[in-house]
Amino acid sequence: MNLDEELKLALRRKEPPPRFRDRVLAATKQRPRKIWRPLAAAALLTLVIGGTTARYVEQRREGERAKEQVLLALRITSQKLHDTREHIHELSK
Amino acid sequence: MTLIASEVEIEGPDPLARARSGDGDAFAELLAEHESMVYSLAYHFFNDRERAADIAQDVFLQLYRSLRDIDSHSHLVHWLRQVTTRRCIDQLRRRKGLRAVPIDEVEHLATPCGDPTLGRALRQLVATLPESQRLVVTLRYQEGLGPEEISRVAGMRLNTVKSHLHRALRSLRRMLEER
Repeated sequence: MNLDEELKLALRRKEPPPRFRDRVLAATKQRPRKIWRPLAAAALLTLVIGGTTARYVEQRREGERAKEQVLLALRITSQKLHDTREHIHELSK
Repeated sequence: MTLIASEVEIEGPDPLARARSGDGDAFAELLAEHESMVYSLAYHFFNDRERAADIAQDVFLQLYRSLRDIDSHSHLVHWLRQVTTRRCIDQLRRRKGLRAVPIDEVEHLATPCGDPTLGRALRQLVATLPESQRLVVTLRYQEGLGPEEISRVAGMRLNTVKSHLHRALRSLRRMLEER
């Protein structure tokens, strides 16, 4: 037996199942639509997360500004109280 | 005359160029031309028609998305062989259950009606070989490739290809004698 020749015969090319070509061609037409779905979902998710993050950052900034204003008011009040106390102290001498 | 013939060939309809520019009919022509090569590589690797059809479909879908990277007919054939063999090996490694079929099972399968053909027996024996040997034997005998071309397609060193081929043939001879 010539093994080389027998292997060539045994492993010769075979035709794929019927309708294989139709299946592949149909899949090539479906693919782009399937690709757009996750892309659209990812874009929407990015927008939602981005919007939420931007609002959170803005609220935090406003909070920081309010806190600074309160601290400034307290510093001014404290200074005024200190000046008044000094003034009373001088008058009482 | 040779010059005229080659000019006609160059100017004639080139399905690859047309497919690259989005012509669906041209892609169908490429599919018709190469489907038996791709399907058979996977079929002889797994000895499983359904799995071979799934792999071949995935390969052609990948081709559809990669047409711009293919610059000639010979490049296309090399690309298809390379991608198909890689997918076969990837799938084999991903699904550990798809190990080489033990010889006892093959002998049972090869004699379903007491009248086995040598071709069928050989295909089933090839399916028992280790994956690298199986790959080399399929590329050698299905596609008629020489060791250098197999080494380029399979990404193996030339000496490794020769060694796999030698061992595979020795194993096949031994298994045939034992049958």
